[in-house]
Amino acid sequence: MAEKSPVKEAASSESIPISNSNQLKPSPQFPSKFSSQTAPNSEVPSTPTSRPPSADADVVYVPSYSRWFSWDKIDSCESRFLPEFFDGRSASKGPGLYIYYRNSIIKLFRVNPSRKITFTDVRKTLVGDVGSIRRVFDFLDHWGLINYSASSALSKPSKDTGSNIKSSDSPSVESPSSAAPTSKHSSNSRRICGACKSLCTIACFVCDKYDSTLCARCYVRGNFRVGLSNADFRRVEITDEAKADWSEKETLLLLEAIMHYGDDWKKVAQHVGGRTDKDCVAHFVKLPFGEEYLRHPLSNDDESGFETNKRMCLTPLADASNPIMAQAAFLSALAGVEIAEAAAQAAVSVLSQVDGITASREGIGSLERNSKRESEISSNGDTNQNALERAAYADANSLLDKEELDIERAITGITEVQMKEIQDKFLRFEEMDLQTEKERQQLESMKNLLFIDQLNLSFRRNYT
Amino acid sequence: MKSPASASWKAPLKFRMPTAENLIPIRLDIEVDGQRYKDAFTWNPYDPDSEVVMFAKRTVKDLKLAPGFLPQIVQSIQSQLATFRSYEGQDMYVGDKIIPIKLDLQVNHTVIRDQFLWDLNNFDSDPEEFARTLCKDLGIEDPEVGPAVAFAIREQLYEIAIQNVTSARENRISKKGRRAAEHFTPSKASGAALDLMKLFSFRSSVVRKRKEWDYYKPVLDLLSNEEVDALEAKEERSGR
Repeated sequence: MAEKSPVKEAASSESIPISNSNQLKPSPQFPSKFSSQTAPNSEVPSTPTSRPPSADADVVYVPSYSRWFSWDKIDSCESRFLPEFFDGRSASKGPGLYIYYRNSIIKLFRVNPSRKITFTDVRKTLVGDVGSIRRVFDFLDHWGLINYSASSALSKPSKDTGSNIKSSDSPSVESPSSAAPTSKHSSNSRRICGACKSLCTIACFVCDKYDSTLCARCYVRGNFRVGLSNADFRRVEITDEAKADWSEKETLLLLEAIMHYGDDWKKVAQHVGGRTDKDCVAHFVKLPFGEEYLRHPLSNDDESGFETNKRMCLTPLADASNPIMAQAAFLSALAGVEIAEAAAQAAVSVLSQVDGITASREGIGSLERNSKRESEISSNGDTNQNALERAAYADANSLLDKEELDIERAITGITEVQMKEIQDKFLRFEEMDLQTEKERQQLESMKNLLFIDQLNLSFRRNYT
Repeated sequence: MKSPASASWKAPLKFRMPTAENLIPIRLDIEVDGQRYKDAFTWNPYDPDSEVVMFAKRTVKDLKLAPGFLPQIVQSIQSQLATFRSYEGQDMYVGDKIIPIKLDLQVNHTVIRDQFLWDLNNFDSDPEEFARTLCKDLGIEDPEVGPAVAFAIREQLYEIAIQNVTSARENRISKKGRRAAEHFTPSKASGAALDLMKLFSFRSSVVRKRKEWDYYKPVLDLLSNEEVDALEAKEERSGR
């Protein structure tokens, strides 16, 4: 009953067509990856073809990450994803039942491979509880064993993210082709949950170990795989991610606005346009040199001229249409690496002397950015960056030392004061002690006097 | 003759479907904006509740129903689940119960009529397995018959299980205690238990009498299109 169809490797790197015909074209790309599982299929001759197989009608495409599939066997990933059939919890729900569901669903699909089969079609024809049928159906759907027709554009992105998610789980017969879609779609901003196949909207949970994504609902319900626990997932905010692609222009606008407005994030957001103030803050913090800008809001007039220069330098950098900037880039390219580096360093040192540390750090930051951009243009990146980084590093170190000294002094001051306090307390206690001693002695003498008086009195009484 | 019930009276069990898997039959019959959706399937009550919504969404999408169906489907499934769960904690009495189960279904072009005996005490019984075997043996090509058969069996088992629960409840309410139970079970199970005695007493054999063969034989009919239409029209008329 199960047709053993030979596997035909196609030139397209992402799919393997399974054909009902007897032809076996040699694969140009993965001769070594032809797994032994599919080999027996190819050996069995197909049924005598009363209808000559046309190339399109009988070829069923299956993605290469599902090549473990065979009619008679159960692969380890199947038992992992659908444990309910394999954990022996219920006598009737065994691997045999799973094979029956799986094979019937696939056969039903292959009756008409150009049409997407729906879950309702399937569950109407299968005997059993719809929950498990749905899970098997989803599993097959996800692995592209059904409904994997290249014509449907809808299925493509989810299949690719499916391959992204699942490619790390499939057995060792991993071909480079499935690695290609993963790299292509690792930057895919749409997140599909690996378990319930719904689009993740607000937040999703990503497990880095198995590179799987779950929507918040599945995460809460614990609908993840066997080897994982709650702790393996980290929360990823979709709304941040979706807008995370800050373009160059936006970043420049952001920096500009920050220089202008300093800490007033509302105005910054306004200036950038299209981003909320929170987004701006978040992105700014993530920028490599963000801290410098944060600590020193510009209020100095000395730097205003510098500012404008910086602004001019920064904003048109992206399009290099500013003649000055273009000239600078041109000159640095002309002058070569070392000269540009030396010039930058000289500028840095002069700045550090003239404007004081705050300005220098600003300058370094902006100059570093400038030179970064220049180096991008002139492709002399590394050396410039290194030189300036070293200068900045030295400055930062000296600042750190100074701060440490300050802190130490402060601490010693505090300890001295506290010691003095304690000393004073001691003195006071001593005085109190003396006083009490004196009082005690007085009391004693009074007691003695009283005793003497009593004695006298008793003597007198006795004698008289 | 000793009352068979006393010998076979068992301690009450918690309510569950007397099958290997505790699955419940769900029947849907919803009409929205002139579109009628009838369906029947088995459901696993231990699936998480989100399953219900997901299933409803898929069904609406797959069958291209109007979106007004979605809340109704969800509500119907959930109410049936709730009914099941309300019975769940309660006791049911199971005596010696072999009951006849009757099938009288029309699925697309296939009409199937059958009658067979089913042991309620066998908690390992599997209607799905039975349905699969039946379809295979009768050579039924329409794949939708299997689930319908399994569903019909389950539904009948479910109803009988519910009857058991209600009878147990009545016993408790009437407070007649053990004696009442003994009285009840034979009378309730009289249909089946007496059959049992007749069937398996020393005088008769286990082999069925010839005249009863016809009752217990499955009857399979394949209808043509006109007959299907005629039946549908009749149904609608009777429904109205």
